[in-house]
Amino acid sequence: MKSNHTNQEPVSFNGAAIVLAWLFPGVGHISIGQKRRGLLIMSGMLFLVLCGVLVGGIDAVDHKNDGLWFIAQVWCGPIVIAVDLLNQALIAPLPVDEKATLVGLSHVNEMGTLFIAMAGLMNFVIILDVIQAKKGDDFELRSGSKERRAQQ
Amino acid sequence: MTLAWIPFLEPLNAIQPTWYLLLLPLVLGIAIIYRAIREENYAVYWRSVAIMTGQVVFGIVAIAIALGLFVQLVIPILNQP
Repeated sequence: MKSNHTNQEPVSFNGAAIVLAWLFPGVGHISIGQKRRGLLIMSGMLFLVLCGVLVGGIDAVDHKNDGLWFIAQVWCGPIVIAVDLLNQALIAPLPVDEKATLVGLSHVNEMGTLFIAMAGLMNFVIILDVIQAKKGDDFELRSGSKERRAQQ
Repeated sequence: MTLAWIPFLEPLNAIQPTWYLLLLPLVLGIAIIYRAIREENYAVYWRSVAIMTGQVVFGIVAIAIALGLFVQLVIPILNQP
């Protein structure tokens, strides 16, 4: 959050919002009254995760073969864990010849993995933001409306 | 090959030759999230998302061109006896 807040209200610790932000990206901000901000975070996060799975397939999340990447990806929460479980259940047990079309190779696998890892790291930033976000400090819809409200 | 492709299950191998174009949606997604926590005003939000996307893409392309020139031009000169 921007540090140039004009009012000096004490910032409260939002424990439940942190858990919600991990469970589903954006919900943490919505839970503290920042609905517009939360919906934009959610849409951006889902865009990155869906692009990652679209490009790399469900093999883009693999905690066994790409363990270090998974550490970054898992910050997206249960969505990524569900994709990993699907990968382990549907693709991992298959014989090599059947697995060939389902496993991404080269740039496709790299970019799919990178998309979801970046989503995870961005959600880590979101979680850090929600720790010290002020309740109800949502987007202003029109320019200068915050200043006008302060003057009233 | 793409006819038998099952979205979200199989990888999109058709994009392999133009994989670098995926930089655009990647940076756009990051900008949407980052500007959502940095902006105070929705009136300038999408403008700042577009600016950030352009700046990051421009930066990466500039670094790629600089490194390409270094490898193609400078290193052969340094290798001359």
